[in-house]
Amino acid sequence: MTAINVYQQRPEGGKAESPLFHAGLADAAGKGKATAGIQLRERKLLGHLTIRGDGHDAAFAGAVHKATGLELPGALTLVSSGESSLQWMGPDEWLLVVPGGTEFEAEKKLREALDGQHIQVVNVSGGQTILELTGSKVRELLMKSTSYDVHPKNFPVGKAVGTVFAKSQLVIRHTAEDTWELLIRRSFSDYFWLWLQDASQEYGLAVKA
Amino acid sequence: MSQINRLSNGGRINRNQPLTFTFNGTTYQGFAGDTLAAALLANGVDIIGRSFKYSRPRGIVAAGAEEPNAVLQIGSREATQIPNVRATQQALYSGLVATSTNGWPSVNNDIMGILGKVGGDMMAPGFYYKTFMYPQSMWMTYEKYIRKAAGLGRAPKENDPDRYDHMNQHCDVLVVGGGAAGLAAALAAGRAGARVILADEQEEFGGQLLDSRESLDGRPAADWVAKAVAELKAMPEVLLLPRATVNGYHDHNFLTIHERRFDHLGEVAPMGEARQRMHRVRAKRVVLATGAHERPLVYGNNDVPGNMLAGAVSTYIRRYGVAPGKQLVLSTTNDFAYRVALDWLEAGLKVVAIADARGNPRGAWVEEARAKGIRLLTGSAVIETRGSKRVSAARIAAIDPVGHKVTSPGEWLECDTVATSGGYSPVVHLASHLGGKPTWREDLLAFVPGEGFQQRVCAGAVNGVFQLGDVLADGFEAGVKAAGEVGFAPVSGEVPSVAARSEDASIALFQVPHEKSTARGPKQFVDLQNDVTSAGIELATREGFESVEHVKRYTALGFGTDQGKLGNINGLAIAARSLGISITQMGTTMFRPNYTPVTFGSVAGRNCGALFDPVRYTALHAWHLAQGAEFEDVGQWKRPWYFPKNGEDLHAAVARECKAVRDSVGLLDASTLGKIDIQGPDAREFLNRVYTNAWTKLDVGKARYGLMCKEDGMVFDDGVTACLADNHFLMTTTTGGAARVMQWLEIYHQTEWPDLKVYFTSVTDHWATMTLSGPNSRKLLAEVTDIDLDRDGFPFMTWKEGLVGGVPARVFRISFTGELSYEINVQADYAMGVLEKIVAAGKAYNLTPYGTETMHVLRAEKGFIIVGQDTDGSVTPDDLNMGWCVGRTKPFSWIGWRGMNREDCVRENRKQLVGLKPVDPNVVLPEGAQLVFDTKQQIPMAMVGHVTSSYYSASLGYSFALAMVKGGLKRMGEKVFAPLADGRFVEAEICSSVFFDPKGEQQNV
Repeated sequence: MTAINVYQQRPEGGKAESPLFHAGLADAAGKGKATAGIQLRERKLLGHLTIRGDGHDAAFAGAVHKATGLELPGALTLVSSGESSLQWMGPDEWLLVVPGGTEFEAEKKLREALDGQHIQVVNVSGGQTILELTGSKVRELLMKSTSYDVHPKNFPVGKAVGTVFAKSQLVIRHTAEDTWELLIRRSFSDYFWLWLQDASQEYGLAVKA
Repeated sequence: MSQINRLSNGGRINRNQPLTFTFNGTTYQGFAGDTLAAALLANGVDIIGRSFKYSRPRGIVAAGAEEPNAVLQIGSREATQIPNVRATQQALYSGLVATSTNGWPSVNNDIMGILGKVGGDMMAPGFYYKTFMYPQSMWMTYEKYIRKAAGLGRAPKENDPDRYDHMNQHCDVLVVGGGAAGLAAALAAGRAGARVILADEQEEFGGQLLDSRESLDGRPAADWVAKAVAELKAMPEVLLLPRATVNGYHDHNFLTIHERRFDHLGEVAPMGEARQRMHRVRAKRVVLATGAHERPLVYGNNDVPGNMLAGAVSTYIRRYGVAPGKQLVLSTTNDFAYRVALDWLEAGLKVVAIADARGNPRGAWVEEARAKGIRLLTGSAVIETRGSKRVSAARIAAIDPVGHKVTSPGEWLECDTVATSGGYSPVVHLASHLGGKPTWREDLLAFVPGEGFQQRVCAGAVNGVFQLGDVLADGFEAGVKAAGEVGFAPVSGEVPSVAARSEDASIALFQVPHEKSTARGPKQFVDLQNDVTSAGIELATREGFESVEHVKRYTALGFGTDQGKLGNINGLAIAARSLGISITQMGTTMFRPNYTPVTFGSVAGRNCGALFDPVRYTALHAWHLAQGAEFEDVGQWKRPWYFPKNGEDLHAAVARECKAVRDSVGLLDASTLGKIDIQGPDAREFLNRVYTNAWTKLDVGKARYGLMCKEDGMVFDDGVTACLADNHFLMTTTTGGAARVMQWLEIYHQTEWPDLKVYFTSVTDHWATMTLSGPNSRKLLAEVTDIDLDRDGFPFMTWKEGLVGGVPARVFRISFTGELSYEINVQADYAMGVLEKIVAAGKAYNLTPYGTETMHVLRAEKGFIIVGQDTDGSVTPDDLNMGWCVGRTKPFSWIGWRGMNREDCVRENRKQLVGLKPVDPNVVLPEGAQLVFDTKQQIPMAMVGHVTSSYYSASLGYSFALAMVKGGLKRMGEKVFAPLADGRFVEAEICSSVFFDPKGEQQNV
């Protein structure tokens, strides 16, 4: 394809550092109290692809489904299957998350299925990471951090929103009853990590591997 | 002397849990459940502070948020000092340390008190304005002493050891106030299934029910409170917030609540816990059940300790088991206040007399008082009291409230406590925060909430509903209505029954008449906190201040930490009478958040220290730290500023770094530059329209510098954009402009040119960028890459793809230093590994990391601009001498073309970017320095421009600068002068802005 410059950006092997590499989460893992109200895990080094296109076009939705096996989600929702998920990010934008190292294949599949349509697929894997939060106090933690209403009546499982968080922005994904994910940008990850540690103080924080 | 005023039984205190505290250095004991005010009264502490202006002794007056006098400094050590705490709202805890905020050498023997009595008469309203107006320069000096004399609290000088935080709340119904109406509303809304928040400022829910004489369902009212609270607690969607003051009612039903989570347990919260929390609430509906404040009567010497609100005395007796005296006189205009006489009597104490301003009151409690043999003087009021540090007697006389006259000589009655009640003022503050002016109701003699601009319902006393049975009904109805409006059908539940109580109407009495004129009679205090008297208000109206807002500002009525909760209505009623207008015509002053003072900590929350502002880091930050970098803030990014070695200062480090780049090779982390991936068949056309220059002919594999202007033709961003494939571009932006440019592209695409097939995605964080710059950069890069770096095969302003350090990379041959340069972009997760390989190979070439300061010097030597430093939003490409970057023949009009062709933008003599060479090669012009052509002219001199960038160049061997100078491009070789603040002039020669390698040979090698 000469219209778009697509290539494998991830090396085979080699040293990889996720955005929170320096925080030493691996060392902290398993050392927190099992009763901690907040359990945190970095879902690191995954493949992240931004997809843009016309969601109203059945051909677009069909092609994305064909390439990913996932139904194109509507506004403020995400669908997932195994390690992969597809999230609505805006009226013409979605985020596909796939196991780390498979994003180049996924992009090629998408481009093949969407051939001839006006779309954009961009590998953004290096620019973001996902923090998974579980535990009995996650909702309180989120309430301290975001002005968006995280009550399950307003934020049921399967919903995802980009919103204000502390003094920055991120995406909150409600993936299971007591499981929430924060999709954060690499350069802000240190700020969020500091914020989350601070906001968790009264509930207890345990890092999971 | 131990708790001499504590009754032997009664109250909601725990007598088995004594608590020790100190006030002004003396140790006292109170009980768990006391407020600080209750404990002080229990111990017979009469004087709590000295007054603002006259330094008169003052005691506790109220039992709640309206307290004007008992405003204390709390804290046992410097770091835990809290100013302006109302003792009536501070729960007692073991070890509490409280002090008065004024009074020297002590509140009991105050020297200023004597001076105040002399000087006070001279300090009429407007004293400060009249006396300290001139000279204006002295105001700062005056102000220091005025503040000290005023005796307000002080902030701690050490860091607060506590945490404060914020919590965002959402609910269907927020109920403000946990008294009878609030509890009923919360029950009704909660039973219907709504998400409810019930917030109350007191230690426990119940409000006035906790000290009520009335019964619910035939049992003490407090029993029903316990039942109601238990029912609410059991509801999963109901949040109960005691010790939480709803302080602000903002637009769109956004309210702020300040919760004191641990203030009742000690002066420091447990580890990890926030001492106070601000709840930021979005409520679909709000029920305001804020109740009413009792109005005191205004009579002579009504500020002597022992003069109290009637209801407050009842509260202290029934809720805290404290009677603040032995002999009571009550002066009232209404039935409800009679409860204090009955409570006082039941406590086994003497009620000297009741003065009722009404002619023939016959309500149930009045009759009960009569039946119990209490002396009742109708058509009368307390005219004045006497006593220096405590009331010793009160004079009751017959009055004509309408004619404002005393109609009998009256008699002095010995007593130590005077309780007064002039009626009840609904707490309309929150209802008025958004501008809904309260409405005066003559039938109630009270202001009630006016027009509501919010989705709110008022219930209970705030609504002008005062009888307990009506209050409860109003509360339930409000809860049903509020929940109903947001879709919750009412669910029936228990409603308590209340025995009806007959009550006569009250009459209007604000200022009690005196035989002498107001100005000559004993002082009648209206605003105790600010020492505003009725005479002062009359004087203000005589001096022409007729608007209530002017009266307020001239007299200080309603200023201070209590904001006139006690005195405002009396004050404006006095002003209205003095002006001969109605209270409705007078109106109220503006109500503004916050309802009560809040700590700065709870406003700041966790947004302090390391969390004050987000800090952004690149993937290579840990390496910079290991190299000992000093950092500079660029937007929210931390960028290496310079890398000092062996104790170098900035100047030495930058000189070394510059030399390394010019002589061999340097390394810069350029990851912070904004990067936008652009795809689509119309991408090229889109670039034509947002950049000033042309993009139609940029071949795949090539890169080009571009300028972006706003519609006005002024430069707002720049950067290099590369053509990755026919329909694929990678745009770079300035570090600070990345988000702005991204939005700019989206806005123009979505609103102006939706027909163009193009998409944009930010990839700033995805790619880490390392720049190798210097004559040896090719040799160094060749050691770690499989890309053919042949100078003709990989020329300037092109890019190649390949492995660098074993990682797939895009390498751009572009330069911001004027040297041979390569910008290496890799997926950020792998950047550190690549960097380590480059650094290892770089040892042979003296590879030197450099920071933003060196980058600035090197680019300035080349005359490369930095948008935002050399430009300021008023600069066109032609002003920058960058006309070469303007596509004057592009077929489709592009952003900025019309703007930059306006008359003013094409005129002669605009400020233009030029170079400056100081005549003394060692003098570095200050950045921002103004420039003049002629040093002999009069001040103010005609300024002709300013310095935008200025450095010393080690490679050039002299200092140099970039500057905007009027008509500068036609003034090459002429002199300009920078007048400095110390009177010196720095002389400089105007020259080309390109100082180094003007032909660009170095970057093309």
